[in-house]
Amino acid sequence: MPFSFAKNTATAETLCTVEDALPLLEYLQSHRGAKVDLGPCRHLHTAVLQVLLAARPKITVLPQDPVLSGLLSQALGASGEKETK
Amino acid sequence: MSTPLLERFVSEARDLLQAAATGLLILERQPGDEAAVNEVFRSVHTLKGSVGLFDFPAFTKLVHAGEDVLSLVRARQLVLTSELVDRLLDTFDQVSAWVDAIDTTGTLPKDADGASREMTAGLRAVLPADFGASQATASAVRTGELVGLDWLAALPEKDRLAAFAQAMDGAEIQAIEYAPLQDCFFSGEDPLALVRQLADLQSLAIEPTEPWPVIDHLDPYRCVLCFRALAAMPRVEVETLFRYVVEQVRVASVPPELLISLTGDPNGGPVYGDFVDEAYPLIAAGDWPPLRRAVGALLQLTAPTLLLASALRWLDAILAVPVPNSDWVNALIACIADGESNFRPVKAAQPAALANSGSRHLPDPTAVPEAPGRTDPGKVSSTAVRILESQRAILGLLTAGGDIAARLGSVAQTVTNLLAAEGHRADDLAAWSRAVDAAIAQDNAAPVIEVLDRWLAANHPSAASVRPEAGEHLIQEIKQTSRVLKVDQAKIDTLMNLIGELVVSKNSLPFLAKRAEEVHGSREMSREIKDLHAVIDRLAQEMHGAIMAVRMLPVSEVFDRFPRLVRDVARKLGKQIELSIEGADTAADKNIIEALGDPLLHIVRNAIDHGIELPDERDASGKSTQATVLLRAFQERDQVVIEVVDDGRGINPEKIKASALAKGVIDEERAARLTDQEAVNLVFTPGFSTAAQVSDLSGRGVGMDVVVNGVEKVGGSVSIISVMGQGTTVRLSLPLSMAVTRVMVVEAGGGMLFGIPMDHIAETVRVHRDAVHRFKQSEAFVLRDAIVPIIRLDRLLGVEPSAWFGDGSDEDAVLVVRVGGGLVGLLVDHFREGMDIILKPFDGILADIQGYSGSALLGDGRVLLVLNLRELL
Repeated sequence: MPFSFAKNTATAETLCTVEDALPLLEYLQSHRGAKVDLGPCRHLHTAVLQVLLAARPKITVLPQDPVLSGLLSQALGASGEKETK
Repeated sequence: MSTPLLERFVSEARDLLQAAATGLLILERQPGDEAAVNEVFRSVHTLKGSVGLFDFPAFTKLVHAGEDVLSLVRARQLVLTSELVDRLLDTFDQVSAWVDAIDTTGTLPKDADGASREMTAGLRAVLPADFGASQATASAVRTGELVGLDWLAALPEKDRLAAFAQAMDGAEIQAIEYAPLQDCFFSGEDPLALVRQLADLQSLAIEPTEPWPVIDHLDPYRCVLCFRALAAMPRVEVETLFRYVVEQVRVASVPPELLISLTGDPNGGPVYGDFVDEAYPLIAAGDWPPLRRAVGALLQLTAPTLLLASALRWLDAILAVPVPNSDWVNALIACIADGESNFRPVKAAQPAALANSGSRHLPDPTAVPEAPGRTDPGKVSSTAVRILESQRAILGLLTAGGDIAARLGSVAQTVTNLLAAEGHRADDLAAWSRAVDAAIAQDNAAPVIEVLDRWLAANHPSAASVRPEAGEHLIQEIKQTSRVLKVDQAKIDTLMNLIGELVVSKNSLPFLAKRAEEVHGSREMSREIKDLHAVIDRLAQEMHGAIMAVRMLPVSEVFDRFPRLVRDVARKLGKQIELSIEGADTAADKNIIEALGDPLLHIVRNAIDHGIELPDERDASGKSTQATVLLRAFQERDQVVIEVVDDGRGINPEKIKASALAKGVIDEERAARLTDQEAVNLVFTPGFSTAAQVSDLSGRGVGMDVVVNGVEKVGGSVSIISVMGQGTTVRLSLPLSMAVTRVMVVEAGGGMLFGIPMDHIAETVRVHRDAVHRFKQSEAFVLRDAIVPIIRLDRLLGVEPSAWFGDGSDEDAVLVVRVGGGLVGLLVDHFREGMDIILKPFDGILADIQGYSGSALLGDGRVLLVLNLRELL
């Protein structure tokens, strides 16, 4: 289970596969306002990314991997900022 | 390191290889069989796809080469010769050896690379020399052209600047739009991973193709993302990367000026009138260094969020090369002068347009730069076709008069924009505007409709009809695969056991009913329990039947490997053999089918090796040179019968006798008494093999006794019928299922119950005590002129003999059983009924106990021990 779910934070592990999209979505559905920590993550499956894009949770830590981090901040950042305002 | 994915791959790969090999053999006989070609190709193609998920490069390469060869065969560019079939079969063998290795060790063997290289080269040698080249050009044609580069401007300026710098260094910038299929996650694709593999990814925008639903209604497994990327790499490389999703990707190479667009706050900030005035002469003179310095200085002074700053940054980027493009610089300076964000580079040859800068906002399609790689005029993309169709439909609704002018105006505008976006030449646009003018003049849409129809007709067959077909095909395939459920056999076995328990507990209901009546005196209660029992009984039986059906496999599981085997063996021996298979869909329990494999292999090899003659020999004896081996399966009552029939030389009883004599299997006296059929049956005797020389084909001289052992282990029997010179038929009879065993229950040792498998029992007899003869320790009696030894079951099992022997008639109950070809009489206290039981082998510390094949629960809760007579006697 590459996501460990705590009370209000889901923490990703190294590799998030397509299997993890549904648990993450269910978690975000039942925990409105939960945060996601992507720190250790090196690759997200597209399905997981899609959940993040649709649910827009607050990302507390971006992945350490620079490429992925840049990519995510661009994809998530643009409209994420709008929403926070 | 075995993962579930790998395990699934292994089992799938085996199925695919089997399917491919089978198809190949059909093809060899009927080269024109379209279905077979497709089957083989699809199997190999799927295998290649699945192996790509793992890191087995040697494997992938070899399978890929195989696929290439097959694709040519499919396109009828390559003739499938026997040699080619051999080569492909060898390839499949190698691959299947690797699959075995992967199954056991999780990796390929060390020599795989070498073997793969050799075989791949062998396969590639068959291909025409230009195969790779034609493949490459074919893929180039297939990638869709990207139209509509509007989104470029939405990319972050930083990324565009970086890409622009790359382009100035001479790199080729590709804009890639990748819209994965909605169900792509189900085919194991990870679009993000694919996009991340773009070598020099400059920018990536990920957007949903439709608005996000409320999060509660989000389907996480439906991909609605669209990826838009800028990458500095040649188009060919992009196409190679996306080769498996080529139809979902559109690529266009981006001329550097398209990257330039200004963002930022247009209001506020200083107006650099001086700078603009100074700049034009400098550009005209080609005096770049002062301009660079001025831009650098202004950049320092301007707030970075302003539009002006953006323009300056672009200027800086353009000026970074020794000889900048003066058109772009001019256009940017114009933007700075106007405070406009509308960057439009204009050719220096058209200075009039520069002066007329006020009109730049109007749609001016001729000013759209002619991007290389745009679609040809007259051909439009499928999206455009749809738009044109919808416009055509709007026009069709128009009746003369009314608001025709308004509608015509909007349609005209849409089409004009579309034509501009599609990169059409001026003549298309001119034709359109002429038609619009004519329509407005006549107050009738007819001229416009005519033009639209002409375009649609030109585009329809090419754009609309080809792609959906591929899509449908894919959907069909997905549907097919999702119908089959692969389940671990252990789970079915558990289910089976549970049903067994249910049957047993159900059987205790009649006892309960009896108690209700006898002990509690409630006849009504008893009847209700019986009614309930009837219902549960029916359900349990249906359930049992259903589970049995799940375990049933067609015999084709075993038969399928024979075409290949027969072909190989026949070729090796120089014999001509046609294998025909009948009743391949006859089903039997999985365990039976699996136990059948080896014995059948042995019989078929024997038939080919010993039975079938060489073509010359057959010719001499007046048979056709092509021999036939028939594998036939059918159901006969509760048995599955499998026959292997050959039309070879048959078995010579005299030869068998002589051989048996020489080997000391029988003595001369017995040999003289043997009938021909009995002589033929000698082949089943252990240690008997007549083949003059032991070949590598039909075993190691162990003969048919292996077959007999294998078949009897699952409760079957073997018989053989042979006619000299006409052929031999070997017949295997097997129970349909092993789950239910029929036993006869006997009582011995004073009330103890034992089960004896029904297939051992020859008959039950009552023998008068006087008829039992004693020879020292042993007893025997005469049954129809044959002497049958008697063994007392209680003594055999070491239980206390019953105090009371037989009944008043002075007769003993003797169960005559057949063990290992001879008859033995088992003396028991009483015969009880025969019943179907679910036999449970002993496990745990009881597992090693000899003499019993297992136990079963009786309806009243007692345990029945089932004897294994073969071990006991």
